[in-house]
Amino acid sequence: MTDSRPGTLPGGRARPDLLPSAIDPTVFDEAFLRQLERLTLVMRKAVQGGTKGVRRSPKRGQSVEFTDYRDYALGDDLRSLDWNVYARLEKLFIKLFVEEEDVTVHVLLDASASMGHGAPDKLLFGKRAAAALAYVGLASYDRVSIAILQGRVARRFPAVRGSGRVFQVLADLSAVRAAPGPSDLAAAARHYASQVTQRGPLIFISDLFDPNAERAISELAGTRSEVSVLHTLSPDEIEPQLEGDLRLVDGETGASVDVTADLVALDAYRIRLATWQADLESHCWKRRVAYVPVPSTLPLADLVFAELRRRRVVA
Amino acid sequence: MAFLAPIALLGLLFVPLIVAFYMLRLRRAERVVSSTYLWQQLVRDVEANAPWQRLRRSLLLLLQLLLVVALALLVARPFTERAATLARDLVIVVDATASMAATDVFPDRLTAAKRAAIEALAGLPADARVSVVAAGNSARVVANEVSDRGRASRAIEGIEVASAGGNLSEALTLAGALGARARGAEVLVVTDDAGERSAAAGGGEVTAGERDRLRVPVRVLTVGRDRDNQAIAALAVRVDPSGLKRSAFVSVSNSAPSRVIRRLQILADGSPVTARDLQLEALTRADVVIDELPPGTRIVEARLGMGGGDDGRGDEGADQLRIDDAAWAIVPPDRLQRVLLVGPGNVYLQNALALLPNVEVYGATPTEYPTTTGKESFDLFVFDGWLPPELPDKPILAIGPPSTSPLGTVKGTFSEPAVAEAPADEPLLRNVDLSRLHVAQAQRIELPDWARPVLTGPANAPLIYAGSRMGLPTAVVAFDLRQSDLPLQVAWPILTANLAGELLGLAPSNLDSVRPGSPVELPLVRDATGVRVTLPDGTTREILPSATGASSVTFVMTTQLGPYRADPILPRSPAGSAPTPSGPAPPTPSGSPFRGQSNSDPSPGTSPATTGDASDPSIRFAVNLFDPNESNIAPGDGSRLAAWGTDQPNTAAANGRARDEWWVPIVLLVLLLLVLEWLVYERDGARRLLEATRAGVTSLMPRRRRRA
Repeated sequence: MTDSRPGTLPGGRARPDLLPSAIDPTVFDEAFLRQLERLTLVMRKAVQGGTKGVRRSPKRGQSVEFTDYRDYALGDDLRSLDWNVYARLEKLFIKLFVEEEDVTVHVLLDASASMGHGAPDKLLFGKRAAAALAYVGLASYDRVSIAILQGRVARRFPAVRGSGRVFQVLADLSAVRAAPGPSDLAAAARHYASQVTQRGPLIFISDLFDPNAERAISELAGTRSEVSVLHTLSPDEIEPQLEGDLRLVDGETGASVDVTADLVALDAYRIRLATWQADLESHCWKRRVAYVPVPSTLPLADLVFAELRRRRVVA
Repeated sequence: MAFLAPIALLGLLFVPLIVAFYMLRLRRAERVVSSTYLWQQLVRDVEANAPWQRLRRSLLLLLQLLLVVALALLVARPFTERAATLARDLVIVVDATASMAATDVFPDRLTAAKRAAIEALAGLPADARVSVVAAGNSARVVANEVSDRGRASRAIEGIEVASAGGNLSEALTLAGALGARARGAEVLVVTDDAGERSAAAGGGEVTAGERDRLRVPVRVLTVGRDRDNQAIAALAVRVDPSGLKRSAFVSVSNSAPSRVIRRLQILADGSPVTARDLQLEALTRADVVIDELPPGTRIVEARLGMGGGDDGRGDEGADQLRIDDAAWAIVPPDRLQRVLLVGPGNVYLQNALALLPNVEVYGATPTEYPTTTGKESFDLFVFDGWLPPELPDKPILAIGPPSTSPLGTVKGTFSEPAVAEAPADEPLLRNVDLSRLHVAQAQRIELPDWARPVLTGPANAPLIYAGSRMGLPTAVVAFDLRQSDLPLQVAWPILTANLAGELLGLAPSNLDSVRPGSPVELPLVRDATGVRVTLPDGTTREILPSATGASSVTFVMTTQLGPYRADPILPRSPAGSAPTPSGPAPPTPSGSPFRGQSNSDPSPGTSPATTGDASDPSIRFAVNLFDPNESNIAPGDGSRLAAWGTDQPNTAAANGRARDEWWVPIVLLVLLLLVLEWLVYERDGARRLLEATRAGVTSLMPRRRRRA
């Protein structure tokens, strides 16, 4: 019988004490983790990885998948000679096989002050989504690199590999808090992009409430990774429950805006929101970035197994 | 454009005040949100750091500024001037006669006339004075030299149609007198031109000889279009010579230029008796006699309705005047009246009395009179050349009283007295020609206080007088019939009938054919303190005599068409029960009956009469239009009325300037702005309400339809 208590891993292994209490353990129960293990983050192109893995590499290697022949050269491994061809042609040819390597999954979580708002707050939703996607990567024997964008920098956690490191990931994410004060999403993204050495799937989770959000996406797309943007908005940002003469104070910058929240203003807001999302999607499409708008109320299972599958982020 | 109150434009100072209010920063509730990134891009009213903020485009501000400007303009009373079309002093005569109730123009002629008159006020100069005369059954000044057009308009609006024939000449004379008070006055007549119609009909209401009575120009506005009307022109009830049957005589006229079918309905005391369709040729009259009146009927009503026609449809719309489609008649009483003739015997008197309808004549000599029984049962005592020592408490006709009595003080005799010309309006002398009367000798009697002279001789000494003596109708002929040629004249039976009619209460005389608005003389019975008149609409009016001991009262509120009933107001008896004017069932009189007859009155239209019930002292009479001039509603062109005025052009009107004030459109603009301002301010609520209504309607729709 499988132990399905929180904190246990598949196979009944004991849970390390690293499981953070900030992350609801019921979200990552055994059944959910098993489902996550069947997923893999999609890579449209083969990229060169670091160590041996399960993803196709552009390099020739030692897998079982034949790819080509080449002439024998001195020093080649004689086990790679195709003796059947030699018997017919009396020439020595070396069989080449596809190399399988791992890739680095980049998970970027925006932890600016604006992500700390909403019910449920967007940062919690982002942390859960980041944890789930990180686990998908770890289960696929990929290296997972998690970074938190705060202020003008990207705070990067050490890359981990193997599903056994999932609790390390969870602990790292649990410790993330929304940073007070203004942030510069483009600068932080540029900062992270400058550190990317290995290409791979890059998931960027943010509310994109930044005038330079498009530049940030462009910076990440410039890493030639396969970027997916999870645009997270809370329900009160999609349908504001405002009425009357109000002074709206920006939770991040402290700037205020006087509005008369009547139906006309709310209609204008909805139109503006739709236009903004359409502009972002267009911008992403031009840079071959997958744009996935998700409300923070979306259940994690629906996000991973429905929305991200539909968008071909996972398969 | 100028302003009557330009000082009110100071109200425009509110404009900068409202602008200042809008520039003041609004105190708002703070709400922390994740980001104002999206709001900043769409919110226009971004605040400034100063307490005053930049003025922004706002529909509400625009509406409120427009509202202030409109209100200031409204109070400042802007106006424009133009040439006046009417004189400074204007007398408006509004025809309110019965024909103005015709509905050939919507809703009726009087309303259209009042509308035209009010619209004509717009052509008055600014300082004009207006008098308004309502020309109903009599001319009446409803507004006198008012300078406020609103008051003049209200006075015009208050005019109501009279159920009577018109008298425009009286109204024009009055208007001319009003207009003569000022120079350059003008008379404006708004009518359907009844004057021309009357003249054409031979009424002589407007004649060329009267034209010089007005020294002001007369302008005529005519209303009316069609002449389609049918009317009951006459209704009378006559009694069969046998005295048992009563017949109604109805005359129906058609003023329309085409043949119509109308249904005539006869009602007896409110119950339908018969109805028949009449084919009325164009511009003709049709007479109908109805013989089926049930016995005991008191009031006969004739109604004219839509005809059935061959196809079952009536000629709707062809009768433009409704008030002449009904008429009423009072049925003469059925009861036989008993008359006791006391005298030596006078065959002329006996015959004349015996010819009266519904009269039973008994005779007695002066010697038999004291022993005559059942005196209480007689309704009239005729004393011929003799008077009892004590007069009975009954109506009395005394012929040649020999001596002084309560009927008059005898001061001697006349020999061949000259007979004065009979007064034309004396009801007792109606249809009586006494110009060839010769009297050999007559008693010189001093006219009592209670009597009026009917026929006078030398020095106004009465030869015939009548009146109400202590509430008892009484008449005295001061000469012996045998001393005159009166019984030999044609007038004798008519005079006898008139005398008996007044004394017995049968008289068609003064109550016959009551026209709307005409006064009615109602006799006071003995001990009565007044008369209570019940009008056709059920309301009652109490009429009290103007002087103590008066024998009659005058009732003037006869404007309604229909049957009236007058009951005496009697003082309460000590026992609490009202005394009956007559005693118990009369015993058989002992006088010798000459002849009992129940002949009917030959003249139709005996409208008023006492009721047949002896215990009912009420008097009934009916007021009917019966005016062919009013029933003929063909409108004229007003040229004959205009000829009443002077031909000289009115220069005063040309010099005047009329003002058109702009308050009406400004008030409408203010109301519109108020509504818009409210809608803009409450647009959220209105929209939510609309959406909720839509949602409610959608939820009420059948599910299958919603899917579709």
